[in-house]
Amino acid sequence: MLAIRTEDLTKDFAVGFWRPRPYRVLDKLNLEVGQGDVFGFLGPNGAGKTTTLKLLMQLLFPTSGRAEILGRPVGDIEVKRRMGYLPESPYFYDYLTAEELLGYFAGLFGYRGQERDSRVSRLLDEVGIGNERRLQLRRFSKGMLQRVGIAQALINDPEVVFFDEPMSGLDPLGRREVRNLILALRDRGATVFFSSHVLSDAETLCSRVAILAGGRLVASGAIADIHAFQVHGWELVVSNLSPLLLETLMPRVTRATPISDGRYSLDLPLDPPPERVLDELINGGARLVSLNPMRRTLEDFFVERVTHEPNRRVDI
Amino acid sequence: MTAVVPRIAVNVFKESVRDKVLYNLVLFATLLIAASYLIGQLTAGQDIKIIKDLGLAATSIFGLFIAVFIGIGLVSKEVDRRSIYSLLTKPIRRAEFIVGKYLGLVLTLLVNVSAMTLALYAVLGYMAWRAGGWMMPGWDRPAVDPLLLEAIALIFCQLMIVTAVALFFSTFSTPMLSAALTFGLYVVGQFNADLRNFENVIDSKPAIYLARALYYLLPNLAPLDQKAAVVHGQGVPLMYMLLSVAYTVVYIAALLLGAVLIFSRRDFK
Amino acid sequence: MRNVASAFALILLIGLAVLLQMARDARFPPAPIDERLLYVTSGEVAKRLALSYDALVADMYWIRAIQHYGGERGSDRPKRYDLLYPLLDLTTSLDPRFTVAYRFGAIFLMEPYPGGAGRPDLAIKLLEKGIQQTPERWEYYLDIGFVYYWRLSDYKKAAEWFQRGGDLPGGPWWLRTYAAVTLAKGGDRQSSRFLWRNISESATDNDWLKQNAQLRLLQLDALDQIDQLRAVVREYQRRTGKMPQSWRELVAAGLLRGEPLDSSGSPYVLDSSTGAVTVSEKSNLFPLPVEPTATPQAAPGGKTPPVS
Repeated sequence: MLAIRTEDLTKDFAVGFWRPRPYRVLDKLNLEVGQGDVFGFLGPNGAGKTTTLKLLMQLLFPTSGRAEILGRPVGDIEVKRRMGYLPESPYFYDYLTAEELLGYFAGLFGYRGQERDSRVSRLLDEVGIGNERRLQLRRFSKGMLQRVGIAQALINDPEVVFFDEPMSGLDPLGRREVRNLILALRDRGATVFFSSHVLSDAETLCSRVAILAGGRLVASGAIADIHAFQVHGWELVVSNLSPLLLETLMPRVTRATPISDGRYSLDLPLDPPPERVLDELINGGARLVSLNPMRRTLEDFFVERVTHEPNRRVDI
Repeated sequence: MTAVVPRIAVNVFKESVRDKVLYNLVLFATLLIAASYLIGQLTAGQDIKIIKDLGLAATSIFGLFIAVFIGIGLVSKEVDRRSIYSLLTKPIRRAEFIVGKYLGLVLTLLVNVSAMTLALYAVLGYMAWRAGGWMMPGWDRPAVDPLLLEAIALIFCQLMIVTAVALFFSTFSTPMLSAALTFGLYVVGQFNADLRNFENVIDSKPAIYLARALYYLLPNLAPLDQKAAVVHGQGVPLMYMLLSVAYTVVYIAALLLGAVLIFSRRDFK
Repeated sequence: MRNVASAFALILLIGLAVLLQMARDARFPPAPIDERLLYVTSGEVAKRLALSYDALVADMYWIRAIQHYGGERGSDRPKRYDLLYPLLDLTTSLDPRFTVAYRFGAIFLMEPYPGGAGRPDLAIKLLEKGIQQTPERWEYYLDIGFVYYWRLSDYKKAAEWFQRGGDLPGGPWWLRTYAAVTLAKGGDRQSSRFLWRNISESATDNDWLKQNAQLRLLQLDALDQIDQLRAVVREYQRRTGKMPQSWRELVAAGLLRGEPLDSSGSPYVLDSSTGAVTVSEKSNLFPLPVEPTATPQAAPGGKTPPVS
């Protein structure tokens, strides 16, 4: 049984007041996510990622098509017991404390008394909220709210977890913690479905991804398999590079960007392997600063796709 | 399953307490106490009646404001702030959400009205004690008159209907518009009796039918107002109470059902 | 499927709510109006309370006044008109230009019970208030004069008011003529007819006044017919020496063509002991107005009005 499945899922919004015309935000999305996957749902802002998530949460109703979670249609109450959801930029009841909010939600799942309290406490520890848990949520920063959001998504030990932009609002330390948390969830056997517009997040976590642009699915599969993201060159940063040495290397370098005195960033093609150029540079007295693979960024990919996208307004 | 509804209700109550809604009680008590002192200085003998009138009227008005101003935001606030996203994805049905919200506000009102009733009786008791007895010559009724509770019960019915109206509008319209519509219907509901009397005066049949239909369909609040009768010592007959309460319950059920139907198909963009 | 069931449940609930209201109204008929709705009895206080919605609140009181009159008129309960003046007073305090309130009020205030409140003094008071607010309205002078004429039989005063109304800029020429006629002829039926006809014609913006005036004209016609019928009865008496017992006898005697009906279709009633003729109680024209009594200084050659 698939964890998540959509079949020709489509959503139109009516735009305009006097004679509303349908504006297609999601066009026949077909997705399959197996149990235990960590699935990255990628795309630029406005691609329809949040819409898809809302359709899966039954916060929106599809214009056509269907979706299932754990084999049941979305909105099924029993399925809601087994899943968790973190909305984008979450907002909660600001007059409640973090503890009270989690206690409230835990109560909605049916947890009571001792079990409820221990769950709440454990989850707040997991997301790194200490004594602030007794403060009213109105005092929380964005990053702390995000943590509370994650906590409330996991309060019922869900089998399937949906995160909408889980890294947003977090500092690098926070992002790392979330990354670790997702990995921990995977290790527990949960399915994680998260949306993001940052490719590097997906790279380190996901077994599979889907890319949405302009409301349409433009690629899906394992990252390594997606041709567009394969390495197409190297970026070599060196210091202490003399202009003379640079001159000799220029034919083999696609681009050289001076950073500061003696420090340059050199773009090298895939072939020949960069080690050769590096050897020459070292022997010539330069020093290595960093060597990184260059991939097309998700943004490059999107820009290209979007400019090639046909107009997505549907005239009926 | 339906253990969810009381939890949501309690949460609404908690919110109203933390939003310092209950501070209105302080205002109410102050008003009554000040009035009783001033009026005692001015008139002789009529002060008990005036305090009763004032107390009942203030209970009605304060309750009305709470019902409307919290009611119009019950749903729309959650949707605007988007706290509803995390709530509806928990194992609750949208209908349970609506009913829970409604009962939460009713609970708030119940606490409010009860407190105001106690305050009113306290002030009346104090006035009676100062006057020298529970029942003095020249009074229609004793100062601390249990009959007042009948009027207060009907006031509460009015408030429950107004709350249901506010909640109904809150499921699909903005707070401003909901407030205007709810207050509008409240005013209309007070003058409903005039619609009924149209037929004594107008000859056009269609107009009569329209007036009759409106009379029965719009919230019929005026018959729930028995403040004057009770202050003058006329109790409310049991049958009248029963029929009025039954009407209240049925009308509210209709409004809530309507709200649930609208809310259940709503997209949260 | 669930939607159909829900819609059905909704209709059921609404129907039930309607039934409950009907049951309660049947057991405990709501009073059409009562004092608590006049919680404010002073016009000045009402004006302050109404904030800037004076005209609207005036309309509401006006509707109440009409319902009050309408309600009182239609019901079988003993009629009370004690709230009519306060309601009209409130209406006109809130909206001093509410012409029809003054005029309607005056007419029904002055009508004797049970057709009206029977308070010509209040009618005059109301109209004087109207004059104070809008002194250019000659209709109020006409109406006041009329109260003096029709109810108080004070022709001197009536003529005075007619004169003043006629003297106003914009006042109709016939008011002045009428002042003279009133002084001369007093409670003549023709004069009354003339007056009611003028009221009917000047009430262009209000059906109430028009209909009422037209009713009065029909009643005057009935009085004329009654005079004729009584002449017929007297003729029968002269011929046979007895009182007729019914209209049939008069028809048999060839004095009438058929049972006499008034203009609303109801047969006239013959009192066989006194020979008096009146309209039936069921007639739309009932009760017939009491005509103003003759002026003491009847003009030479003027007719004295019949005593009905």
